[in-house]
Amino acid sequence: MPEPSAQAADQVLDCTGLACPLPVAKTAQAIKNLALGQTLELLATDGGVEPDMRAWCSRTHNELVGITKQGDVFHVLIRRMR
Amino acid sequence: MWADDSETKILYVQTHGMDDPGRSATPFFLAASAAAMEFEVMIYFTMYGPSLLRKDVVDKIGPKGDQGQPLRYFVEQATNLGVRLLVCQPSLDLNDLRLDDLIDGVEMIGGAAFNDLAVSADAVISF
Repeated sequence: MPEPSAQAADQVLDCTGLACPLPVAKTAQAIKNLALGQTLELLATDGGVEPDMRAWCSRTHNELVGITKQGDVFHVLIRRMR
Repeated sequence: MWADDSETKILYVQTHGMDDPGRSATPFFLAASAAAMEFEVMIYFTMYGPSLLRKDVVDKIGPKGDQGQPLRYFVEQATNLGVRLLVCQPSLDLNDLRLDDLIDGVEMIGGAAFNDLAVSADAVISF
């Protein structure tokens, strides 16, 4: 079970072990449960998650706060903007 | 047939059928990703494509044969995100199918509607 980042998100979505397109699809669903301005931390191991989440955030007009990689796990912090 | 002129729209075309399972799932993956990006998305099944939507096939085949998820999993992943599935009558005839033989929710269109969807889409991607 991967640990969330030190920077606390309002919600953590664990998609480790899941392949494309699940991290994107689950993020799209999960972000709708947040209030505007709240953050979601996506944990994912799919190798394409960084370009995918950059494209997704750009297209959906949500803010990509940052992406870090810890071991095999990408931590993607997203702020709901709309 | 596109619901919203202001949305980005992608039309996928699947021509391969149940006899080529390795080519069955990718259009659903890409369509699901596009729908998650808030694009409006349809997949048009023509030539052998409609056979992938048979009620008696979606649980029996998957992109990796007996391993991994059945095709139904990938179909529902896409449709749960709002992807619409289209077929046309000549392709049903080619595969000796009726609309009733397919999973629920598949819409019937014709050549004119397909061409109209294609020219008004932002991208048409054919497999």
